Amino acid sequence: MTRALVLLGVVALAALRIWFRRRSRGARGRGASWRRSGSPGQSAASGQSGARFRPTGPRDLFERAIGDVGLVAAREIRERTRGRTFRFGTVLILAAVAAAIVIPVVRSTKPGAERIGVVGAMPASLRGAVVAAGASVRTRVTVAPEPDLTAAKRDLRTGAIALAIVDARTIVTAKAVTSSDTSAGAALERTIANAVSLHLAFEAAGITAVQAAALARSTPARVTSLAPAPTHSAARPTSLYGLILLFILLQQYGTWTLMGVLEEKASRVVEVLLATVRPVQLLAGKVLGIGIVALAQAGLVVAFALVLAKAVGSDLLTGAAPVELLSELLWLLLGYAFYCWVYAATGSMAERQDQLQSLTFPLSIPIILGYVTALVAASSGNASTFFKVLAYLPPTAPFAMPVLVGLGGVTWWEFVASVLLSVAATVAMARLAAGVYRRAILRTGRRVALREVFSKART
Amino acid sequence: MGVSLLELTGLTRRFGSVVALDGLTFSVPAGEVVGFLGPNGAGKTTTMRAIFDLVDLDSGTVSWDGHPITAADRRRFGYMPEERGLYPSMLVGEQLEYLGKLHGMSAASAAAAAAQWLERLGVGERATSRVDALSHGNQQRVQLAAALVHSPEVLVLDEPLAGLDPTAIDAIGQVLVDQAAAGCCVLLSSHQLDLVEDLCEAVTIIDHGRLVASGRVDDLAASGRRRLVVRVEGDRTAAWASGRPGVTVSEVSGGAARLVLDDGVDSQDLLRAAMAAGSVTEFAFGRRRLSEVFREALA
Repeated sequence: MTRALVLLGVVALAALRIWFRRRSRGARGRGASWRRSGSPGQSAASGQSGARFRPTGPRDLFERAIGDVGLVAAREIRERTRGRTFRFGTVLILAAVAAAIVIPVVRSTKPGAERIGVVGAMPASLRGAVVAAGASVRTRVTVAPEPDLTAAKRDLRTGAIALAIVDARTIVTAKAVTSSDTSAGAALERTIANAVSLHLAFEAAGITAVQAAALARSTPARVTSLAPAPTHSAARPTSLYGLILLFILLQQYGTWTLMGVLEEKASRVVEVLLATVRPVQLLAGKVLGIGIVALAQAGLVVAFALVLAKAVGSDLLTGAAPVELLSELLWLLLGYAFYCWVYAATGSMAERQDQLQSLTFPLSIPIILGYVTALVAASSGNASTFFKVLAYLPPTAPFAMPVLVGLGGVTWWEFVASVLLSVAATVAMARLAAGVYRRAILRTGRRVALREVFSKART
Repeated sequence: MGVSLLELTGLTRRFGSVVALDGLTFSVPAGEVVGFLGPNGAGKTTTMRAIFDLVDLDSGTVSWDGHPITAADRRRFGYMPEERGLYPSMLVGEQLEYLGKLHGMSAASAAAAAAQWLERLGVGERATSRVDALSHGNQQRVQLAAALVHSPEVLVLDEPLAGLDPTAIDAIGQVLVDQAAAGCCVLLSSHQLDLVEDLCEAVTIIDHGRLVASGRVDDLAASGRRRLVVRVEGDRTAAWASGRPGVTVSEVSGGAARLVLDDGVDSQDLLRAAMAAGSVTEFAFGRRRLSEVFREALA
């Protein structure tokens, strides 16, 4: 997966380079003769800049690789990563990821120890069943006799005991537990309630202690399915965390693009830039620069998560989780590539920051749709047909496809098909956005109407 | 090979029903500072943008050095737009270096040229300031440096002198004259006609997107009807001259009347009339001022 990612990046850069080379070859035909022809005053003017020839130093290699686009991208990367907001934001994300990984590990490796109060008689068989029930939910249970119900209730309120078994029949807890509660306390309560009811049932059926012990050792029968089970599916929390991160980062990078374009338009620096760079170069450079920063940041987060999870032995990364994370990284890139053009075109149409709200709202609808349906699918572990369709639509695929991967319900060619669809849609979107951008970026004084840019975008 | 020439031919641009440029044709030779004049809305900014392909012309061509202008040519042009623009949060020096590189310079020579121009324009110590921390006047200097950093062959400056104090105007004016002397082609628009008269060798005046006058400042000043400056002791209104056939009082300032004479008017008659009105302390033919050229061209 990583190798494919690197390959993809290299191919994208090379394609961009060839494209711009071809486009600018005609224009640069004369570019080599920098020196002015003629007049005697010349030497004074050229002396001012010393050298006006194209650079040859290795430092400029990257910038030269794709010409002006590289220059624009390099500036973008420099200015982006310089900001305090960026550094602080990255640290914040890393801290959140670390918390999501480390906290469950710390909580689960410290074997839960709970005291259980007993009021009245407690047969040895039940005691054994209760301790075994605790062990089944990774909790070491100790039994503490309580003189009476009042004392037990007091200890329940102070938290000295987790629950109390009264007369080997009923259970008293401090707080009601709902059926959907998945906390360790609730799990303990359910298994102990089961153990007590089984004990009562055995008693009622007149089963001996030896028979009861044999019954208690029963395990669920093996189930064989005709359809092959998904061999590896990711842990649910991993899917959810990954999805949330994907959502946050995608919106963040889209907003960067939008604000970057708007900054250039609002400060009017764009007119100076466009006097020497073509609009499509400026746009491509910005998108590329932010994309590189985005990939670096997201890659750092994923690498950090993988290494940290491995180091602390987290079970968040079992099964398909690493594959899902990497596919999320890939889809973050694809999602950015698709959405950045839309955001850039939107930014070029705005005039001031206060217009952003109304402009970005329509953009966020498909993102939120994809995000919410993916959240539902990831948390339920079930993918509806509708959701599977969303996994092939470029605006929602960045959320839906990685979740499908996590659920183990995707073959490699389905994955590739969705990627190709997304790439094709991205190319179409880029062309459209470049047309809108070119039309709108120099219009100032008021917000540019959609109708205007689209009616002329094709000319 | 002759002097390079920036030629604009038949530029036409309509915005809806508004005609911004209407077949505008003129040229700017290298080695001269050319003033580009016209009332507000005459099409000056649209013309300058057209040189940089920033407007879609309905028709017309811009050529440089005898061939239709290319992106590579424009790379060697410098532009200062009417609405100033630099990245507000970028450092001044880095910004100029970036623009220099966009114009094809190496990083090292761009940095050197940026430092040199900032020094020359009197803002050398602000190279490490953010642009938005500079005063208006200093931002304008930096903006000019941005147009100059790559030693352009053509400088197109939209109102470069607007809103500057006299020292800044002198400094920038000197830079422009030096650039022209070094062979650069300088086109600047301005409403400050007296400054343009001092600075420019030639002017082009447009109105409603059409050329209305153009030529060397000296020729324009010498052409047209004769100007006579007459000062009569104690006379503040030049009442003695008004109403005389063939004589127009163009202005009275500081006690001196500027008279515009039709061809048949005999100046000796006027001198006698002035002497009859009082003691004549000044009586001289004057050059046509650029402001007069401008007003008469638009009339």
